[in-house]
Amino acid sequence: MLKNTLIVLVIVVLFLPLLPLLVWSFSQGWFFPQFIPEQWTFQHWIQVFSPASRVMEGLVQSLAIALTTTMLSLLVGLPAGRAIGLMEFPGKAALKLFLLTPIIVSPLATLMGMQFVLIRLGLNGTLFAVVLVHLMPTIPYMTLVLASVFANFDMGYEIQARSLGASPLQVLSQVTLPLIAPGVVVGALFAFLISWNEFLLTFFVSAGRVFTLPMVLFTLLQGGNNGLTAAVAITSVVPGLLFLLLASNALQNETTLAGLGNV
Amino acid sequence: MSQLVLQNLTKHFSGATAVQDLWLEVQAGEILALLGPSGCGKSTILQMIAGVLQPDRGTIALDGKLINRVPPEKRDIALVLQRGLLFPHLTVGENVAFGLKMRGINRAEREEKAIAMLHQVQLDGFGDRKPSALSGGQAQRVALARSLVIRPKLLLLDEPLSALDANLRAEMQDLILRLQTQTGVTLLIVTHDQAEAVVMSQRIALMFNGRLRQVDSPEQIYQQPSDETVAQFMGGVNFFAIQAQGQQWKLPNGLVLVSQHRHQGAIRATIRPEQIQVFTEMRSQNNIIPATVIANRFTGTQRRLTLAIAANLTLQAWVTPTQDFHVGQAVWAYLPPENLWYFSQASALPQAVEVP
Repeated sequence: MLKNTLIVLVIVVLFLPLLPLLVWSFSQGWFFPQFIPEQWTFQHWIQVFSPASRVMEGLVQSLAIALTTTMLSLLVGLPAGRAIGLMEFPGKAALKLFLLTPIIVSPLATLMGMQFVLIRLGLNGTLFAVVLVHLMPTIPYMTLVLASVFANFDMGYEIQARSLGASPLQVLSQVTLPLIAPGVVVGALFAFLISWNEFLLTFFVSAGRVFTLPMVLFTLLQGGNNGLTAAVAITSVVPGLLFLLLASNALQNETTLAGLGNV
Repeated sequence: MSQLVLQNLTKHFSGATAVQDLWLEVQAGEILALLGPSGCGKSTILQMIAGVLQPDRGTIALDGKLINRVPPEKRDIALVLQRGLLFPHLTVGENVAFGLKMRGINRAEREEKAIAMLHQVQLDGFGDRKPSALSGGQAQRVALARSLVIRPKLLLLDEPLSALDANLRAEMQDLILRLQTQTGVTLLIVTHDQAEAVVMSQRIALMFNGRLRQVDSPEQIYQQPSDETVAQFMGGVNFFAIQAQGQQWKLPNGLVLVSQHRHQGAIRATIRPEQIQVFTEMRSQNNIIPATVIANRFTGTQRRLTLAIAANLTLQAWVTPTQDFHVGQAVWAYLPPENLWYFSQASALPQAVEVP
């Protein structure tokens, strides 16, 4: 009973604020004292899907950037997390602290320097530059998540697989990755959502040439069109929500969880 | 059937010596136990043979071919670790077939071989289960099946039974020996349990602190240990200082024993407690010593007597449990001359063994 009450409460707290957004996105002229909008309309949603609003363009670019960022941070985070989680080496504690700096230090403090470097390199305003700055917070997240996953990983599995005839690549794909899959999913989820929602760094580095969904949303917020803003806001929540649902599905799978060292 | 030769094998870990100048030969089809207390370097040797650790110095040869630089997956050496380590994301059948899959063998043949192998370890019908649904003994049998199905040249077992309870362990020992006979695989077992080494192997390589101390058949290690540490590790409890004059060995209390071995001067002598016979009447015979029972412990299979011979000289004699004694009883202990063994000071030093 208490459990059900709590679940309802959580849903209310998390999703009730989204309800006005939903109403706004389907209405025309909904002002303060009115309880229901004057008029219902699909106009905002039609606008979302029209090229003129550039919402779909932003969505595609955001998706491309977030996926690339996630893949690249996995590529760096897997070996780095493995080294930190499984091996002992001098300066390990200092390295872990150093990895936290992009999370601790405000991006505003480093923004000018980054932009300066990117302009000097001729990368300012490119998709690649945006991915680069997104990697700054995502690589530390990914590395730290995977380091804690590998800390519980039994290297005996890899030794065992090698002695049974698996090459290092086969060990990675057939044994290590399946066993640490839950950690990889969590890390990827973090990286994807950080990149997906990133506004400030993108805004400065893109020089107006790369147009992500948060930037579309920011422009609309200044414009004052509540209906369209609400529709775009909902659009921007959907991929993250989908990814989260997929991830929680993967995390509930008991065989993937069994791989976390405790057989 | 393959022959393994280790020469001059040495491994250090950040300054500490794990294995020092090890020479060892395992014959094709042989079962050899690498025995020693924990931390003596035996697992390090196994990992170097398997190829997951690189030796600092020395060579490893399998069938006359140097394999130092061969990666573990190409060595055809299968390793079974203490924890079993079945892959939790695969079924039992997929676990057994893992090595075959890595070798690119097609699914039908893989399944057929896995099923046959599961039959050999008496786990018919377990193929679709998950490893988490197995008991410790079953998991260890699957681990064995998984290693044997690839027909390795050499099978390495690292303390494979130490996590199992006593009854199950005996059953598993029989199974391992039976599988070894069926497959003829060369088998190297690492263990810290001297009883297990004796039961399982044809030869025992006993090591302390990274060095081999004695390589011999279980019988010889029992009867003729190379020094007192070896004797103690194998369960020896009777040690005396002796003044030897040829075959006449004089105990500290003046009694003289007759031995089959000749020696001159001060030596340490030993006799296995189960080889001492205890009589309730005096007999006129060599090596009969009058003694008093000061402790009597019944273990089920044996009666363990502690006998006082002189003020500070006691003997342990393990006799059949049907023979009964009471504390304080006067008895006569018979120490058969053929079972008396000795160490001179020289043989107590570590020695290189089996230099090919």
